[in-house]
Amino acid sequence: MMQRLRPQSTSAVMYTVLLALCPGAVVSMWVYGMGVLFNMLIATVSAWGFEALCLRLRGRPILPRLSDHSALLTGWLLALSLPQAAPWWLVVAGVGCAIVLGKHLYGGLGHNPVNPAMLAYALLLVSAPVSMTTLWVDPLNPPEITLAWSAFLGIAPDGYTSATVLDLYRTEFIGLTQPEMQNHPLLAQSVFGVAAGTEWVALAYFAGGLGLLACRVITWHIPVGFLGSLLLLSALFAIDPDTATPPLTHLLAGASLFAAFFILTDPVSGATSPRGRLWFAIGVGCLTYLIRTFGQYPDAIAFAVLLMNFAVPMIDHYTRPRIVGRDASVRGSGGLS
Amino acid sequence: MADLNIQTTRFQLPGGIEPEMHKACSTETPLEQLDTPKHLYFPVHYSGGGRGESLVHVGQRVSRGTPIIQTDSGVVHCASRGGQIVCVEPRAVLHASNDISDTIVIETDERLDQDYLEPLSWPWTREILIQRALDAGIIGLGGAGFPSHQKWGAQHTLVINAAECEPYLTADDLLMRVDAHSIVRGACLLARTFEIQRIVIGIEDNKSHALDALTTAIQSARSDCHFEIVILPTRYPSGGERQLIWLTLGEEIQSGQRPSQHGILVHNPGTLAALSRAVDGKPITDRIVTLTGDQMRSPKNVLAPIGTPLTELLAAGHTDLEHISSLVIGGPFMGFEVMHHDVGMTKTTNCVLVRDPMPLPIEPCIRCGACAEACPVNLQPQLLLNALESQALERASHEGLADCIECAACNAVCPSHIPLAQWFRHGRARLQADTEAQQRADAARLRFTSRTERLERLAKEQEARRTARRAQSVDALARVRQAREGNPS
Repeated sequence: MMQRLRPQSTSAVMYTVLLALCPGAVVSMWVYGMGVLFNMLIATVSAWGFEALCLRLRGRPILPRLSDHSALLTGWLLALSLPQAAPWWLVVAGVGCAIVLGKHLYGGLGHNPVNPAMLAYALLLVSAPVSMTTLWVDPLNPPEITLAWSAFLGIAPDGYTSATVLDLYRTEFIGLTQPEMQNHPLLAQSVFGVAAGTEWVALAYFAGGLGLLACRVITWHIPVGFLGSLLLLSALFAIDPDTATPPLTHLLAGASLFAAFFILTDPVSGATSPRGRLWFAIGVGCLTYLIRTFGQYPDAIAFAVLLMNFAVPMIDHYTRPRIVGRDASVRGSGGLS
Repeated sequence: MADLNIQTTRFQLPGGIEPEMHKACSTETPLEQLDTPKHLYFPVHYSGGGRGESLVHVGQRVSRGTPIIQTDSGVVHCASRGGQIVCVEPRAVLHASNDISDTIVIETDERLDQDYLEPLSWPWTREILIQRALDAGIIGLGGAGFPSHQKWGAQHTLVINAAECEPYLTADDLLMRVDAHSIVRGACLLARTFEIQRIVIGIEDNKSHALDALTTAIQSARSDCHFEIVILPTRYPSGGERQLIWLTLGEEIQSGQRPSQHGILVHNPGTLAALSRAVDGKPITDRIVTLTGDQMRSPKNVLAPIGTPLTELLAAGHTDLEHISSLVIGGPFMGFEVMHHDVGMTKTTNCVLVRDPMPLPIEPCIRCGACAEACPVNLQPQLLLNALESQALERASHEGLADCIECAACNAVCPSHIPLAQWFRHGRARLQADTEAQQRADAARLRFTSRTERLERLAKEQEARRTARRAQSVDALARVRQAREGNPS
């Protein structure tokens, strides 16, 4: 029965993931305002544009590849990762990086060594750090549609953005005690005491991710490995609530749930065997915790994913299952050919 | 009365898939005996058992059972019906290679004369049974057509492969329903001759009629053999030789070894039934063929004489060549597409499958791992494909290409519709060719070095002889001189 639910073609797989993104995207629009929708729309248009351009330059058939939805998925994933008040050029540049540098330079669909959306995110973060860190919408004060539109055009006055909760723990909360932290409006007005608004977005992604699990587009290994290692590490170091970021914040305040089901699960750039996927996800979880805690960046998923993408060939070599009839599993690459 | 024990398997296949089976359509109608066709075709080389040689000449009249082809392996193929040899000409064969072979064409007639062997009577020796298998043309009827007698030897367990796990195929199912007695008898006499202690039947749980028939046959058999029936879940490819051994006995055959090296003999039920008839003197002349597929107007099983042209089989299923898009011999997974239709069926033709294959566009591999999940030997087909696409045969071999059983379960689950199994089949053939070329090169190198050594040795010996001779002649000269000097004239 479950085998029937599984999408029967690559484009159906992509389409299912796009559908599963929708609950998160809708809740995102509700929490952060229409900037999210503008980002997604411009990402859609530019993803199709860059994909068609690259296919044309590479002399490949355009329509069959465009209709496999893979470019659209990359565009949406990036749009949903970017700051909600990002100007249009940031989105277009990001999607351009993802499709051109992240995917087609390596040979198109199926050949990219790293996650294209995360590659673009990391590039934007180092090349446009101000836009990437200061344009996060305050979920308690989301902009009206007109304001969101001017933000999208890059001409809006300030006043609707705020630091993210993960950021707060790294900056404003230093030196504060746990009860004092709870007085911050983002935490005080939150249902779970974690991050107002943001937590609902995370839970909506979680719901979409469960859908992907039910359709057998993804397996449990990656979400469990990633969330498990992240939660375990943050719980181990959360003994002192005044200095550590609590586990629930790691889970619900950043992009953890989004990444667990939609980013790490990119099959092309991830490990390929179930055991390999588990190790890959555990690696991303540990790196995410380390970078969030000790690194310079507020959210760390992009870098953690990219680093683990580079480790994938090695993981694949050491995690093959034992071939039936052999005494041990095959290790290593078996010659350099 | 033979002893019987029925149980469900305790073991599980690592991968495997649950395809739609499409079996019911061809089992609804009873087995039908096909009328003798006008012409019968017997390829000299691809009838099973290796390359062959014709034993008959044009114009000769043969009867049902007359030996007509002698093969390299010793297996003799017999005429399935009486008639006149009208010609021996090169024709396409019904084989995955779609090759051409000299083919004996028999024009059948109305006479029903038989040219059978003498029935054997117990006790007989192993050699006599082996000779009988050769004379009766017994080869594996499951599909590979391997000469059965070559597997017989020092085995302790006989596994009967009644899984028939491929969709559409019901020929074995029907055989078990109508002639379970012959299967049981064949197994018993093989076990008795070769002192096999254990007989295990592996059968999928979707064949309840066949299971009932087997149970009845075993319980009414006049033999002291002990039978075990292991019921397997319907899961492709539970009928693969190694997979079946794992599911029934829980034993894993080492990579690169054959089951016979583990003391296990695997036979298709059809082979055992044929052996039972061979002991009575009847060589293989007929077999059950499933005529099925979405484009077969009346799907059914027929008992057809070996050599029957495909067109006659299609006609029996009320279908003709104009109305079919593809014709596959065997199941949808492991069968092969037929390019020439004017060919005769062979002993291994278990199914004629006609359907619209609806080829889907091939998309790039996204490493989703669905194939690895389906692989019954735990290969990573996505990594294998990557190696083969980049012509890295060595890497593919390291990834376990040689362990692939070509079951094509990966093809069925690939969302990008990549024909993985075809890549692997091709890669395996190249690997085989490379190994053989390597062996030939090694042999040539060995020949060359030993020749060089030999020539060097000969040259040295010659040189030594020459030196010795020279020394001798110098000595002789010196003696002569000495003598001269000593005796001045």
